[in-house]
Amino acid sequence: MSAELGQSLNDFVPPPKPCTGLRNAALVLSAIGAALSLTAAFNETHRVRLGFGYLWGFVFVWSAALGSLFFVGLQHLVRAVWSVVVRRVAEMFAASIWLVALSFVPILLYCFSHGGASLFPWLDAEHVSHDALLQQKQPYLNLPFFAARAAAFFALWIGFAVFFTQNSLKQDVGRSSVEPAVRMRKASAPFMLVFAVTTTFASFDWLMSLEPHWFSTIFGVYVFSGMVVTALALITITTIGLRSSGRLGSGVVGDGHLYNLGVLMFAFVCFWAYIAFSQYMLIWYGNIPEESFYLVRRFEGGWLFVSVALGVVRFVVPFLALLSRSAKTNPTRLLWVSIFLLAGQLLDLYWLIMPQLHPDRPILGWQELGPVLMLVGILILFVSHFLERHLPVSVGDPLFEESLRFYI
Amino acid sequence: MSKSREKVVGVVGLYDDPSSLLRAAEGVRDAGFTRWDCHTPFPVHGLDRAMGLKSSPLPTLALTAGLIGVLAAFVLTGGLNALHYPIRIAGKPMLSWQAFVPIYFEMFVLFSALTIMGSLFVFCGLGRWHSPLHDSGVMSEITGARFAIVLGADDRMYSQADAKTLLEATGCRDIRPLVQFEEEDDAII
Repeated sequence: MSAELGQSLNDFVPPPKPCTGLRNAALVLSAIGAALSLTAAFNETHRVRLGFGYLWGFVFVWSAALGSLFFVGLQHLVRAVWSVVVRRVAEMFAASIWLVALSFVPILLYCFSHGGASLFPWLDAEHVSHDALLQQKQPYLNLPFFAARAAAFFALWIGFAVFFTQNSLKQDVGRSSVEPAVRMRKASAPFMLVFAVTTTFASFDWLMSLEPHWFSTIFGVYVFSGMVVTALALITITTIGLRSSGRLGSGVVGDGHLYNLGVLMFAFVCFWAYIAFSQYMLIWYGNIPEESFYLVRRFEGGWLFVSVALGVVRFVVPFLALLSRSAKTNPTRLLWVSIFLLAGQLLDLYWLIMPQLHPDRPILGWQELGPVLMLVGILILFVSHFLERHLPVSVGDPLFEESLRFYI
Repeated sequence: MSKSREKVVGVVGLYDDPSSLLRAAEGVRDAGFTRWDCHTPFPVHGLDRAMGLKSSPLPTLALTAGLIGVLAAFVLTGGLNALHYPIRIAGKPMLSWQAFVPIYFEMFVLFSALTIMGSLFVFCGLGRWHSPLHDSGVMSEITGARFAIVLGADDRMYSQADAKTLLEATGCRDIRPLVQFEEEDDAII
């Protein structure tokens, strides 16, 4: 198969080869994570923290996969030429969405059990019976509808991810037809509408309903902005890693492509800051207790430090680090900023989720880190599996050659 | 319009495609010329590198002006609200910087945008009404399908014969002297 594949590749990209190192690292990571998670699961006192930690890790891998799916859809929507050589990496992360769906099953099972009420207060019937507001929200915040929504979201995301990835992989073998490209371009516009609605409501369900009294209409956009930064950081790290390990072939990804990734990353770093500040300022200005308590909790005690750190890690440092033109073509700089931004996403999600569990001060222990390690390890395992089976570049795309010639 | 004196102020080399222009620009760059320019009907990628252009001071100017704008906005809003005319609004602290972040942002954008526009005019040499290129007929060709390199006679590397040889060496088939007409009637304009 590989020989036949190799001939249609016009010698740009070497055929896939095993990535043992990456797979072993991922196995170790997920094994450690799974051991920690299991230990916590069988202990009554640690189980609540495990629940929050699992949600933390789940939302992280979810944002990586869905953000990448958005990236793929966006490139088709605007018929981008430059991104053809990096799109396969995004498709790879988008294709992991079925694993994300699988990793949601434990959360759902947890919600159906008694423990779920410690994660989502609106699951606690006793609590709801004393709370007029939560009773009003019951038509939306109830377990059957919550589960049905999640199922619908994942069905749509998996559907689009399979559609985009399969059509792209199909092009690798027989590159005579432009039909798959046209089909994907046509599907990308409805995808954007579906993506906008599902992402907003999924972030309401999984993050905002942790504090069911609180509401913010911009919340979906806030989660979206962090999600795209995460996806771009992952795409950049993977692309640079593939290039330096020689899997990408020589001269496939050049300065121009890196520059565009850097520009997009810079733009979405600014976009995140814009949205985060918009949300903060309106609540701060209005100063209405039913909204402001969410921020008051995050700006008091030990959480103040996390809130300030969030602004520094997610905006100030990456903004300054990516500001100059030469920084956006410097692989080392891009790599470190990307890793920094991934840490920023974890910090952001920690800031969103954990004050619910530790209201007084931030606490981080093995109970929270275990599931994150496990889910990230599984994602890396998926990546290594994908790279062993498929080309890291969509060489069959009709715009591939044009994309190679892209430079700034 | 009466008699006019002619003066050679440079040499123009015309090329038929962007890649030969790029090669020629590299040649001129390596020869050490400083007073020269390229003219093309559309943006040619990589020309800045081929010409050995240094990076523009514009980003630094824009950032500096933007930061001055932020400072101005801070003094304007904070000075008014906290010092000169203190009014407590909605129980907030006098110096409520959060409320004025949109103003800081807008002033950053305003100051840097105006600076970029102003320095663009300066860098493009606004204030000079005329260029000898306009009379040469070269302009009508390079807004069509041709590409030009202009070597200025005020370059210290320049001597007419050498410039011509240099352009010939880069494969140029169409070399013309650039002539300035000094018209006695309206020399001031």
